[in-house]
Amino acid sequence: MPDSPTPTSVPADHPFRRKGRSTDGLFRAFFAGNAGLTIVILVLIIVFLVREGAGFFPDYRKELVLYRKAGLEFVDLSRKDLTAHEQMSSLLNRAYYAQVNAACRTEFQRSQEVSAVISYVSDAVAPAQSALERVQERAGEEGVPKELQDSLSAKYKELLAAALAGKPGEGLPPTPHLSSEERRQLLSELEARDPLSSDDPPLVVALQEQLSAKQEQASAPLADFRAAIDAFADASLDLDTLVAETGDTVKATKEAATLHEIEIEKRATLLKAAASAKTEEAKAQFETEARESVTTEPVEFKTALQPVLDRTPDFKAANAALAAALAEVQRKLPASLEDPKAGRYLSAFRKAAGEYERELSDTVPAMAAWKHDAPVGLGSTIMGFITGRDWITGGEWQDFYGIVPLFTGSLLIAVIALSLAIPLGVGAAIYTNQLAGPGEQKFIKPTIEFLQAIPSVVLGFLGIAVLGTILQETSMKDAFSWVPGFPIQQRLNMFTAGCLLGLMAIPTIFSLSEDALNNVPSAFAEASDALGASKLQTIFRVVLPAAISGILAAVLLGLGRVIGETMVVLLVAGNRIEIPDFTEGLGVFFQPAHTLTGIIAQELGEVPFGSVHYRALFVVGMILFAIVLSINWTAQRLLHKFRIGHD
Amino acid sequence: MENPEQLLRKGVHHEALKQGAVKAVLGGMAWGVVLIALLIFGRICWDGAPVLLKPEFPFVDTAFLTEKTETLHVFDDASGTRHSLPASEYHGWVEKHGAESIFNETTYSYSGGGIAGPIVGTALLTLLSIVLALFFGVSAAIYLSEYAKDGAFIRWVRLAILNLAGVPSIVFGLFGFAVFVLAAPVFTDTPSERSLLAIPLGFTWFSFQGWNSSLIAGSATLACMILPVIITASEESLKAVPQGFREASLALGATRWHTIRKCVLPFALPGILTSSILSLARAAGETAPIMFTVAVAAKDDFPWEGATGPLGVLQSQVQALPYHIYTLAARIPSSDYTQRAQYGSVFVFLLMIFLFSTVSIILRNRVRSKLKW
Amino acid sequence: MVSDSPSAAVPAISIENLRFQYGEKQVIHDVTLDIPSREITAFIGPSGCGKSTLLRCFNRINDRIPGARVTGGSIRVAGIDIARPDLDLQTLRRRVGMVFQKWNPFPKSIFDNVAYGLRIHGEKDRSALEERVEYCLRRVALWDDVKDRLKSSAFGLSGGQQQRLCIARTIATRPDIILMDEPCSALDPLSTLKIEELLLELKNDYTIVIVTHNLAQASRCSDKTAFFFLGKLIEHGPTTKIFTKPDQQQTESYVSGAFG
Repeated sequence: MPDSPTPTSVPADHPFRRKGRSTDGLFRAFFAGNAGLTIVILVLIIVFLVREGAGFFPDYRKELVLYRKAGLEFVDLSRKDLTAHEQMSSLLNRAYYAQVNAACRTEFQRSQEVSAVISYVSDAVAPAQSALERVQERAGEEGVPKELQDSLSAKYKELLAAALAGKPGEGLPPTPHLSSEERRQLLSELEARDPLSSDDPPLVVALQEQLSAKQEQASAPLADFRAAIDAFADASLDLDTLVAETGDTVKATKEAATLHEIEIEKRATLLKAAASAKTEEAKAQFETEARESVTTEPVEFKTALQPVLDRTPDFKAANAALAAALAEVQRKLPASLEDPKAGRYLSAFRKAAGEYERELSDTVPAMAAWKHDAPVGLGSTIMGFITGRDWITGGEWQDFYGIVPLFTGSLLIAVIALSLAIPLGVGAAIYTNQLAGPGEQKFIKPTIEFLQAIPSVVLGFLGIAVLGTILQETSMKDAFSWVPGFPIQQRLNMFTAGCLLGLMAIPTIFSLSEDALNNVPSAFAEASDALGASKLQTIFRVVLPAAISGILAAVLLGLGRVIGETMVVLLVAGNRIEIPDFTEGLGVFFQPAHTLTGIIAQELGEVPFGSVHYRALFVVGMILFAIVLSINWTAQRLLHKFRIGHD
Repeated sequence: MENPEQLLRKGVHHEALKQGAVKAVLGGMAWGVVLIALLIFGRICWDGAPVLLKPEFPFVDTAFLTEKTETLHVFDDASGTRHSLPASEYHGWVEKHGAESIFNETTYSYSGGGIAGPIVGTALLTLLSIVLALFFGVSAAIYLSEYAKDGAFIRWVRLAILNLAGVPSIVFGLFGFAVFVLAAPVFTDTPSERSLLAIPLGFTWFSFQGWNSSLIAGSATLACMILPVIITASEESLKAVPQGFREASLALGATRWHTIRKCVLPFALPGILTSSILSLARAAGETAPIMFTVAVAAKDDFPWEGATGPLGVLQSQVQALPYHIYTLAARIPSSDYTQRAQYGSVFVFLLMIFLFSTVSIILRNRVRSKLKW
Repeated sequence: MVSDSPSAAVPAISIENLRFQYGEKQVIHDVTLDIPSREITAFIGPSGCGKSTLLRCFNRINDRIPGARVTGGSIRVAGIDIARPDLDLQTLRRRVGMVFQKWNPFPKSIFDNVAYGLRIHGEKDRSALEERVEYCLRRVALWDDVKDRLKSSAFGLSGGQQQRLCIARTIATRPDIILMDEPCSALDPLSTLKIEELLLELKNDYTIVIVTHNLAQASRCSDKTAFFFLGKLIEHGPTTKIFTKPDQQQTESYVSGAFG
């Protein structure tokens, strides 16, 4: 018996001795390689996101340096005030019109309903009507052939009759604010209308008169308010002109600098080509081209900026005018407005006024302290991206990449989706797992799982074609006017997208929660029953707490799905790149927004390869990847913990 | 026992009332979700099925499935009659009646004709991606279940699979765009300027310049996306084959690979194929990964028309159903004339997805009940 | 025959001609048996003889199992037929406690486990809960081991401790009868011994019915023993009689270890 730890090799002629080389090692290596492919893909995803995205911050920084050097930033100091001023006066205008429109809401709706009916009927008879008009025009002196005239008239009558016969809701638009008599009158007036006249029927005229009379009546007591708003709005005229003029100057500077840079780059490329040219002739050719390629002088930023800086006193004066106007309008504002919505806008204005005043007073010192050659740090570039409130691309002025509006959109939509999906998904899971009979289970489970199979683009289409319209029409109903944000202005908004995403998250949350409930050992429920607990006590005090980490993981995975989902938000969220207006209260959910995923899908196809914008989209992708991965990772940790707890 | 009368209930049964109420609320939630699901199916079928039906025998109208996508022209003729014709018929009409007899013309892109192009494109895309994913996925699963011992490599692979499964589809789109479209290696005689790395081979170049937007780039992206699902499902099927089969084979002196080929794979195959059908549905349904890697909104010919051999097909762009639906929903205004194309496409698409899902669920149940060891 | 007044003559549980089925399979045939108060009754018999099923009928915990149903006869607890439609099932189960074969504490803290039964029956007062929990834990001789970690998870205890915790949880709701379904079958001998000591201590206050495979355990602890075979009650009587001179041949073979 050998005592050594390693066995001695098999004697050469023994049957156990391995003969030749085994192919098993090769197979093993092949399969291992394929398993490693998953790691390779994950690494490739990270590497390429970083590779394409990494160039973003230096490039963006370069753009921002030029933005500062050329003086665009200087002009933007005042432009910011201008924008704020516009927002402030728009708040006042909204308050004013909310107050006026509240008074004549019914008249407005009546008039709108009538217009809808008329435009529906006009569309329906359009083929015959336009043909009639045509023959009339061309007829000249001989007049229209009787036969043609008759056949067209008959056609017109036929189309008209078909259109008018439609019941409200199917074909003819509904008119809930008209009495049935008025509706009958409208239809008969339409029927009697001369095919060739474009005059409105008398009822329409009457309704419009009613509306304007009511509007006048409602606005009469508000005349002072109106005048104050107009005065306030007009106060910005000076600054507006000033900004436009100086804006042109600095923009020209920027363009010249950009052009020069492009030419320098071109020269460098040509010189490089010349260095590696094969023949003397070609080399000479390249060198000549290189010499000729730079046609512009380098921009002297300081001198170019001087005329703009010289107008600083004008800027100061305009700034003072704005401040004066603000003080003036605040004195003249009515103490309160009757309509709650108008009142909300007014108080929003009052709340914002302090902030605006501070901004105004900060501008002049900021202008004095501004230097065109102050450096732009990489840190401030990154912060500008993460905390930037603007995502403006493809403009003539300056592109800004700020992620806040996109992030806010994604977040708000996720909030809506989860606040629908969590109660429904978990509730349905509890019901199916604990309370439903076996027959019910057999029906509910596959149906909800089928819901998961619906591709997101189909849900997005339904959102556009069905849900958006239904929600908007519902919001128009008088019975729902108390809901904040109703009536909905935009058919496609965060709420619609959130509903659909909630629908997508329900199957995920349902299935995983159901699994979690199912995995709770039945011994727990049995022990609880044996202690005399009722069914509900057992469910809510034993089974549910035992499954809670699994349910939390389900919710997190649902959140991951909601944040990462693209097509629904791209189609339905409305795609407005702005931070939603939180002065609307809960109505904020009914505004359109853009999202992290949507922006990539929408813009990647349109940006030039390698541009700053292109790289910005990859950075957004990186952020998305990081967010979703950390959510999923947390969920996996929870599930893992859950498994250990029950073994 | 004292007070046995306590065992009997007196008066109203509050607990039962409470339980009934809670049950009603939770049941309402469950059935509400089911109802919404049914409403969605119902709505799409109601509006979409008529596109595929006609009043006469045999009641099925396959024209929508076999015609190519065309622009729809809506116009009035001189006598005030409204026509809506797809582009091909429209040109014939114009030749016959002359352009001067067309009035009030409006055109609706992609709304005429049928959806043969998108159907073919989606079929090719899904088929190719599932073949790729099955090859790599099953191989990886064989390693995980047959060869692997617990170690750092395996832990990393499992972590990668878990994380890959959670990557959002749009990030896969970015990845496919950056890697397959712009950076994958090709053999070419003239390497492009933006090539990452061009290696001269003498007679040609091996250049990392990407496959452009093409069928192969899109399929590869989709394959990466469904890879984790396929690996997990295949591993499950492989693990379900009893250990005894392997031991018996190994005990008879067979090599490991021989054992896998003859005694494990054949029994795991039904399970693997079944679960791959479910991935097929997912690959067919995704839009975001193919937006930048393969899909085009309009294309007049099928991928094989004008292509030079099978390689040419792989290099061509295709239409795809989900992208077609996106285009119809987002890029053209909705009106009475576009409804046929919109609902029809959605209906056909959904039918396809459900066919896959149903087949896979039925097969799964059958496999589970049949293959019990 | 329903007696509404407490009486010593009424047995704790009386079973009459009970028949029971799982689906189509009859597992209990015409069992008639009285279980006296404040004594330990042991059910013995080979596996699958229906003794556990019978035990699980006493608090109707078998209702949980789909297809399980009583097909004839009756069970009376303190004279009340527990199949009556107006029976309050929750009260029945509170007063007929049960300890399972495999210890099954809830995934909660030790304190919450014992307090669970009290809480579901409406006890909210914190000091009353604490008092009762301490009493029960002392009763099962667990208090000294766990008094410093009442808030920690019950899963941290050893198997024997967890089983004693389950007994404490059961007596917390002040039951009259405790059903034990092979409480020691998964325990080591030392823990088993502790549980047996506990049983003897508890029998002063509670009627205990215990199902056991361990004949020695039955002979050590129980006052009465019932022997079941293939769903039928073969013989029952005082433990000493069953183990020394049983009437039936089958009983004798079983207790002498000839089969089972």
